[in-house]
Amino acid sequence: MLGFGGEREGVSKAGLTAADLAAARLREPAAVTRVYTAYAPALFRFFMASVGDRHLAEDLTGSTVVSAIESLPKFRGPVEALGGWLFQIARHDLYDHRRKQSRSRTEPLDDNLKEVAASDGAIDPEDLAITRLEGGRVLRALQELSPDQREVLLLRMAAGMTAPEVAELLGKTTGSVKALQHRGLNSLARVLGLRSLREPQERPYPSPDPDRLTSQEEEEEG
Amino acid sequence: MQRPRPNKLHDDLDALLDGRPVELTDELAPMVEAADILRIELAGYQLDPEVADRHLEQILGDQGKVVRLPVRRPAGGWDMRRRIVAVALAAALVLAPATMASAAALPGQAMYPFKLAIEQVRIASVQWSPAREAGERTRVADERLEEVESLFRLEMFNQLPGALKALERAVVAAQVAVAEASREGELPGRVAAKLTEVEVGGRHLVEEVRIAAATGLIPLSGGILKAVEAAAKQSQDVLPPPPTTLVPPATSRTPPPQTSETTSAPEPTTTQPEPTTTQPAAPTTQPEPPTTTTVPPTTTTAPPAEPPPSNTAPVPPDPPGGQGRGAGGLGAGPGGAGTDTPLGVGGAPPTSTT
Repeated sequence: MLGFGGEREGVSKAGLTAADLAAARLREPAAVTRVYTAYAPALFRFFMASVGDRHLAEDLTGSTVVSAIESLPKFRGPVEALGGWLFQIARHDLYDHRRKQSRSRTEPLDDNLKEVAASDGAIDPEDLAITRLEGGRVLRALQELSPDQREVLLLRMAAGMTAPEVAELLGKTTGSVKALQHRGLNSLARVLGLRSLREPQERPYPSPDPDRLTSQEEEEEG
Repeated sequence: MQRPRPNKLHDDLDALLDGRPVELTDELAPMVEAADILRIELAGYQLDPEVADRHLEQILGDQGKVVRLPVRRPAGGWDMRRRIVAVALAAALVLAPATMASAAALPGQAMYPFKLAIEQVRIASVQWSPAREAGERTRVADERLEEVESLFRLEMFNQLPGALKALERAVVAAQVAVAEASREGELPGRVAAKLTEVEVGGRHLVEEVRIAAATGLIPLSGGILKAVEAAAKQSQDVLPPPPTTLVPPATSRTPPPQTSETTSAPEPTTTQPEPTTTQPAAPTTQPEPPTTTTVPPTTTTAPPAEPPPSNTAPVPPDPPGGQGRGAGGLGAGPGGAGTDTPLGVGGAPPTSTT
């Protein structure tokens, strides 16, 4: 069962109780509002970091919560598993959005950006893309990661899920999730320039040939 | 330099991200710092309150689309009355035309069973009162009599045996009901008079049918002839033929000379092919001697103690609205058209009344 649970049994991390869940199934306004307040901010952060567009992230958040509340009577798990179930729906909606976006995109992005720039005046297409990618530096750094690494980091950081919970959600082992997390943060730190120069280059699988190792280090430093 | 196992690094990093106490090495420090930056960056993304309100409105707004289904309330007094009136109206719409259509039905016709069913319903509805039941059964007996007359007039001879038996049963039932009402002291005089009228009329009718069948005036096959004779004979137990001394109960419409002729010359009727209203069947044709003792006691109101001076038959008083049909035989049909023309049985021309 997906986690996202709290420390106390019967209470989710977001402070929801089983009674809240039961009432939300009946679509009582107060309970629905509590569920929304508990999970909508995390969903919005997840979508915001995934698509980089505020309006789009808001729409995706709304559609996810609406479909989740409508499907809530079908959810038979405990309240501790509600968060994982919600982010499953979020991932599904995100994949749907990307699939539709890839189908509808028939013109090169550069042409669109130039057209928009021409209509807006003096905005450079590259600057426009950066401006649209809200969050700037960190979000751009996230785009450097592989999709798996990015997803693991977002579920860990935006949704607040633990590694076992993410592993269960993604259908992976906890070890592989931790490895993806490690490589993703390592890459993020490198992109953000946080790499400590005092430490030697990390090589998980160092070459036994010292000459070759030296040449590789020189190439990287160069 | 001893390097930690990769899994150890992964576990330590995961523990640091979860806030568990693990030694923060220089190797893990940049990753933890990147994670903190990412957390801070993500925490800056706040959902606009207006957007949140819009989402909640979108979620909870669907409840406004729910259409309440009508709930059936228990029927009150007014509703119950309305239902009863509706059912009665529907029954009337269905039954009234059927009743009217079946009123004139004769045995063998499609609507005749419906007519009998309606009669049974009427009888059942008045059985709480002996007087009303007697009146209703008398009315049924009169109806059977009219049916026999109509069958005879319309030459539907195949139905005659059954009609005669039905007449006998109806008269017996009416006699029983009248006797019961009389014991209860509730018998209206008009009911007794009506039953007497039916008995007298039925008596002559059965006799005429029997004579017509015996003399071949009506074309009956062998089986039908025997059945008619048997039914007529059986009916004589209930409707005995008129005695020879009894003046045929001619109607008031009969001219006086005709009745005087009948009383003074009873013999010609033996050769008379067809009885007429003024010349009822002669007693000489009676196969059995009539007895006055078999007349039902109700006839005590009708037979005169002595012959009336005006040679008119002692006709019991007609009930209000009655057709005035006497015991003048088949000539006075149920139509009561006022004509004394006899039935065209055998194609014989009607005898002159003068």
